[in-house]
Amino acid sequence: MEDDLLWNLENPDYNQSSKGIFIVNEGNFTYGNASLSYYDIETNEVYQDVFYTTNTLPLGDVAFSMTIRDSIGYIVVNNSGKIYLMDVNTFDYVGKITGLTSPRYMHFISDTKAYVTDLYARYISIVNPVTQEVTGTIDVSNKASGFNQHTTEQMVQHDKYVFTNCWSYDNSILVIDSESDQVVDSIEVLKQPNSMVMDKYHTLWVLSDGGFEGSPYGYEAPGLLKIDAGSRDVEPFHRFKSGDHPSELKINGTGDTLYFLNRHLYRHPVLSTQDPELFIAGPSSGSDYGGFYGLEVDAGSSQIYVADAIDFSQRGVVYCFQADGTPLDTFRVGITPGAFCFKP
Amino acid sequence: MITSMGYAQGIIDSVFQIKGVEITADQVFVKEEAGMKQTEVDTVILQEKAIFSLSDVLSENTSVFIKNHGRGALATASFRGTSASHTQVSWNGIRINSPMAGMVDFSLIPVYLIDNLNLKHGSASMSEQGGGLGGSVSIQNSVKWDGSTRIKYLQGIGSYRTYDEFLQLGVGNKKVQLKSRLYHNFSKNDYTFINRGIGSLDPESGRVIHPLDTNDQADYKRFGMLQEIYFRPHSDHLLSLKYWGQSADRTIPRPTSYEGPDNSNLNSQHDLDHRVVTDWHYYRQGGKLLVRSGYSGKQLVYSQKNQVPGLGMISTIFSESRIHSLFNTLSYAMDVSPDFSAEGAAHLNYHKVSSRDTVSKNGYDQQRAEFSLFMAFRRSFADRFNLNLMLRQEWFDRDRAPFSPYLGFDIKLLDGAELVLKGNLARNYHQPALNDLYWQPGGNPDLLPEVGLTAEAGLEYQHIFSGNRLKSELTLFRSDIDNWIIWIPSYKGYWEPTNISKVLSKGMEYSVQLQGEFHKLHYRLAGTYAYTRSVNYGDSQVWGDESYGKQLVYIPLHSGNFMVHISYSKFFITYQHNSYSERYTTSSNDLTRRDWLYPYFMNNLVAGRQFRIKNADFTAELKVFNLFNETYHTILYRPMPGRNYNLVIMMKL
Repeated sequence: MEDDLLWNLENPDYNQSSKGIFIVNEGNFTYGNASLSYYDIETNEVYQDVFYTTNTLPLGDVAFSMTIRDSIGYIVVNNSGKIYLMDVNTFDYVGKITGLTSPRYMHFISDTKAYVTDLYARYISIVNPVTQEVTGTIDVSNKASGFNQHTTEQMVQHDKYVFTNCWSYDNSILVIDSESDQVVDSIEVLKQPNSMVMDKYHTLWVLSDGGFEGSPYGYEAPGLLKIDAGSRDVEPFHRFKSGDHPSELKINGTGDTLYFLNRHLYRHPVLSTQDPELFIAGPSSGSDYGGFYGLEVDAGSSQIYVADAIDFSQRGVVYCFQADGTPLDTFRVGITPGAFCFKP
Repeated sequence: MITSMGYAQGIIDSVFQIKGVEITADQVFVKEEAGMKQTEVDTVILQEKAIFSLSDVLSENTSVFIKNHGRGALATASFRGTSASHTQVSWNGIRINSPMAGMVDFSLIPVYLIDNLNLKHGSASMSEQGGGLGGSVSIQNSVKWDGSTRIKYLQGIGSYRTYDEFLQLGVGNKKVQLKSRLYHNFSKNDYTFINRGIGSLDPESGRVIHPLDTNDQADYKRFGMLQEIYFRPHSDHLLSLKYWGQSADRTIPRPTSYEGPDNSNLNSQHDLDHRVVTDWHYYRQGGKLLVRSGYSGKQLVYSQKNQVPGLGMISTIFSESRIHSLFNTLSYAMDVSPDFSAEGAAHLNYHKVSSRDTVSKNGYDQQRAEFSLFMAFRRSFADRFNLNLMLRQEWFDRDRAPFSPYLGFDIKLLDGAELVLKGNLARNYHQPALNDLYWQPGGNPDLLPEVGLTAEAGLEYQHIFSGNRLKSELTLFRSDIDNWIIWIPSYKGYWEPTNISKVLSKGMEYSVQLQGEFHKLHYRLAGTYAYTRSVNYGDSQVWGDESYGKQLVYIPLHSGNFMVHISYSKFFITYQHNSYSERYTTSSNDLTRRDWLYPYFMNNLVAGRQFRIKNADFTAELKVFNLFNETYHTILYRPMPGRNYNLVIMMKL
């Protein structure tokens, strides 16, 4: 009886055509409590749980990333094995792509073709966003490894080549020809590359966390390295201290300044030869836990959004800064805010 | 683990035979139990719930809160708002908590294996073992010294293709008794539910439709045996050997929102257990010696598989753990004088754990030796006031744990009436489990033990009148637990346990039982109510942390249950109710509609009759669960079954 009350919602009618940012809140693994928050950049208003309240449909288990193409938001829900399609202005649920094993990120090749990386499937799914169907796969299995390889994560495209980083118990960047849908190259990097971006000079920056101490796969100090997207030559750039855990490598809209998290927020101009500089201190320097969790830089304004998941079992906090570090706003979002997606 | 109980109980129980109804007066004023809050679960309940799991008995008949991950799935127990690892569980005196995770899955313990079930709430558990910051559950098997051969067979058939088979054979004489129990239990567990985690768009209205779905990947199967051998060469000596072996397999359902390929995200768990315990009891004038040794071995396999084209079913998790534990106890209890008794015990236990994931290759191999010394002194003053001092010192490998004292008292308030004021003060602690210390990645070898300071006070009342018995107990408790261990994601990118929290748990427990006879109607009424405030007072180290001062997740503020059992001639009927107030799933106690575990009120009904065919006694009963077909949840987005049935036929020879 309570259940019916719970599901008999008055759905709000949103029409948010202004510029904003979606905050993808993972929730807790197996809890099914992922959520989507929306921050209106013009009015500074926050709307919580917009997907659920609009559609009476929970987002699912571990919402992981989001991509927008032509006013449709594609929300990848990792442990629900699907991608939800949502109108980015009304937040209306308009479709879904199912049949994905453990999807992580979605990258558009064209209007009718996109790649979806996967943690466990050992292939990248090719999907047609128009028909909302899986149309093919790209085999990425590495039978030579004793570990579950390859897992695929983020995608960055240079010409027709899509680079994807293999993070879990892996040290590879795979290169995929998006015309033939084949893996054409594999670039060895430092252990466990977790994020990457391309700067305006077509240099691919790859951030590796090195694994963890005691890992059967081995451990090495985390590092940041550069790959020339054309020649695919690798150039080491910076090594972190053992025990550091850098993540969330991002770049500003002009493609000249890197940002990443290592408990705190760091910044690095791509042409600088100095070590990355501490830009904004995290909220919990004294304790073992805490530290920033999610990061995004507005391609237009270069405003910085950084998320703190606190104890990962309450609603997280997002801090917004100007490009120079001046605080702009602070607001609550959902549980475990891990990813952002700008709505232009 | 010896308790003073076994020794005292035999002497003090008094039995009143009134009009054929056996009304047993429980002794409420025993110096060996002074200040201790205990629950003895009635054997009638154990018999009626024979095909259930222990988790069902605890949630429906005691004040223990069971966190149930679904029908047939993991079920953990929490006393007084503490965590699952704070509940110490023993089977015939050997601890069955996993040394790896520290907790017990109560869904794996079938009730038909239990002859006696005793709960010690809070510090009372220190009479058995340390570490029970919440309390302890003691499962006992016992012997009946009669010469007859006994055969019992039970067949259950239930909804969702659920089958139970249980066979018990007993044979023996005044010197030797053998008892064997064999059992098998299977359920496809494929009930249907409206799946709110999946939505399709209705092409006409454009509205979201939630499909009617089946709870698939949720089947479970277990089988096993319990063998007991008792030997009484002389009235002063009792030797026993007990073996319990069990194999359990189950699949773990995927998230209800999962819409990946059919052959992916398939999770399953296999538990294989062997437990042996042997006892030598020697009774002499004014004293009792116990020598006990036991072994517990466990193999636990958890796997997750996905279909990979060209490669077949590939494991993404294949975690195998093997645990070997040895238990040894030497104890002696004696009456120094009629008013003064003393007890001493030493325990030496050893655990060896090997845990490995063959996919990620993570794992650990560790061992731990535990040594514990226990002394107790109990004094009665003028049959009015009892004092119970218990002292425990434990060592883990070479590390000395904090000293644990307990001081309890009973005061008989009125002459000629059984009204007792009782209370205790104690310090207890809980050692981190091996996973907390060594799990890879994240295990933290620097963890400190959790320390609990507890005070409780209560009133216990018993009244026997013309064949009826009323028993009631009210307890108030307060427990300050420091260094509370929780696992949370660290900045290193994986989960780590830390001694982050300070938890204050306080509340009350109330229980009442009334049983007896009214004309030819035998009745039994029982109820419990618990109010539990279990609040996080850990340091708020992060800006914006709203968990300080909030109720712990999954602990209901109010919980209660109620049972009515009536029998008349050959017929009987039982109504069972239990309910929980809302539970939070966020540390900040946010209540969002989407994540709301709303209160639920569960009702079960059992009706049956006994009959006799030739030399065999039969009982047939129909059980109806979730009588009002309510939708309810015990954890987020895990559907629970609607109204369902079970038919049980039992034959006794």
